Amino acid sequence: MILCEDLRFSYPGDAFDLRIERFAVAAGETVALVGASGCGKTTLINLISGILTPKSGKVTVDSVELSAEPFAARQRFRIERIGLVPQSFELLDYLTVRENLLVPFRVSSALRLSPGAMARCGELAERAGIAAQLDKFPGQLSQGERQRAALCRGLATSPRLLLADEPTGNLDPDNQDRVVSLLLDEAGRIGATVLMITHDPVLLPRFDRVVDVLALRKGGRA
Amino acid sequence: MNFGGVLYLGWRYLARNRVKTGLLVAAFALVWLLPAGLALVVGKVEAQLRSRAQGTPLLLGQAGSPLELVFNGLYFTKPQVATLPYGETEAVAESGLGTVIPLYARYSAGGHRIVGTTLDYFDFRGLEIREGRGLVELGECVVGATAAERNGIAPGDAVISTPETLFDLAGVYPLKMRVVGVLAPTGTPDDAALFVDLKTAWIIEGLGHGHEDAESLGEESKLPESPDGAVRLNASVVQYNEITEENAGSFHFHGEIADYPVTAAIVVPGDAKGQALLKGRYGKAGGLQLVSPAGEMDELFDTVFSVQRLVLRLLFAIGLATLAIGALVFLLSNRLRRDEFRHLRHLGADPGTLRALVAFEAAFVVAASLVVGGAGLAVLHLAAPMLVRGWVG
Repeated sequence: MILCEDLRFSYPGDAFDLRIERFAVAAGETVALVGASGCGKTTLINLISGILTPKSGKVTVDSVELSAEPFAARQRFRIERIGLVPQSFELLDYLTVRENLLVPFRVSSALRLSPGAMARCGELAERAGIAAQLDKFPGQLSQGERQRAALCRGLATSPRLLLADEPTGNLDPDNQDRVVSLLLDEAGRIGATVLMITHDPVLLPRFDRVVDVLALRKGGRA
Repeated sequence: MNFGGVLYLGWRYLARNRVKTGLLVAAFALVWLLPAGLALVVGKVEAQLRSRAQGTPLLLGQAGSPLELVFNGLYFTKPQVATLPYGETEAVAESGLGTVIPLYARYSAGGHRIVGTTLDYFDFRGLEIREGRGLVELGECVVGATAAERNGIAPGDAVISTPETLFDLAGVYPLKMRVVGVLAPTGTPDDAALFVDLKTAWIIEGLGHGHEDAESLGEESKLPESPDGAVRLNASVVQYNEITEENAGSFHFHGEIADYPVTAAIVVPGDAKGQALLKGRYGKAGGLQLVSPAGEMDELFDTVFSVQRLVLRLLFAIGLATLAIGALVFLLSNRLRRDEFRHLRHLGADPGTLRALVAFEAAFVVAASLVVGGAGLAVLHLAAPMLVRGWVG
């Protein structure tokens, strides 16, 4: 599903230099990315999603060499096949939860806002336990509810790959467990591959594999 | 670009931040509305004042402010303007140089000016009786269309002049007048006036009065006979405050009519030569003035327009500042939304979509301000006649 080879990336004017010789994830696999802060976990996720492009090397996702594609193609690929779940929820405060779940369909011409898509959002919210909050605004929700809403938005397009950047970082243990369960259950339901950044060792056993990004950078292969 | 999505998200953002949106729309609307409204109202006032002034060739009055004379003679305001003796108007008429229509616009009834004049005034202004008849007898009045409508007055009703000096026993007493006609509307100050015969106006002034017949009164109503043999009556004699068929004969005037006051007189010269002679005669006459209302309006509006230009320049500067502040609000707001835009990009929005989103929000505020400003202008347009009346009097 994911194959990163001889990957090299650095931010302009920054000493940070990410080098990964090889990183591969199989289709349907669930992988937890760990590592100290600033080691490049989020950068790796952004390279895999096509938000960033490597200085050199290849990023191949779902048999498409994403790193060689132009901006528009990368963006279209991300919309159609990748779901993103950020750490800070990134819900739009002027939209209701229901509207937030449908934002990908509103901002992109690649997706069509169909009755089926709306029904799927309703079902996701039901399973996430936020169905009663659908017509509320994000400011009226608890932290856990907001993160579940952000997760539902990431899953709304039925992506083949789900990239989650520390989605449990702001949550209490109960909500952490609930969010990870929801993430893994829903990914399993649609057969999506999961790559999730986490710092919580308690959650690691629930993933098929745990990859330390710092070890990858030191020449490790995964 | 998902255009429908852009409109939806833009609208939701504006609706959710309705206080900010409303303030921006209101501020921008004022930027358009204030100068346009000012120009509209000034234009309406100018049209109203000029049309009346252009229809009045000359105005004779006591020396003083020519503008106050014009406002009294044409718009029935400035009731305290200095009066001139009625005899002066007769002198102009007798000169044969023009027709003279005396006016006495000092008193009021129910907030409407009572205008004492002659029947010539109705012909001169082209006033038509819509209901009832014209003035025939002392104590009658004809009411302008607006005054009649506002007070629900019809022929057969009565109106009472407003007492001017409530605590002055020797002052002007109110006179009850019979309404005999209502004028057709003209869209001029005549609509708000009450017209009476000049003599009726002088009775309100207290220069003429009616009372019980002195001959039939007992000794208890009389004061000691004066050295010249005239009968003098005391305060027990009933003085009439209404002119009826029964008591009309008892009304009489004391002193010389020629000395009685008028506030202004419309002078309609017979020809250009007559006009030139009249202007020459009264140009240097002490105590009196003969003014051209159109000329006075030209002078007035020269001043008004120069002030208006200054105000418009100030409004332009304020408008620019408001627009700059509005633009700053947009810029700062968009800066605060940087994370939101970044995430929308991650979710699939291309740069064009985000630019369209911001442009839509700005365009909506500008368009809404134009609509609000336009609506305000329409309301002002409808209310302008009322404002003009309020300003002119």
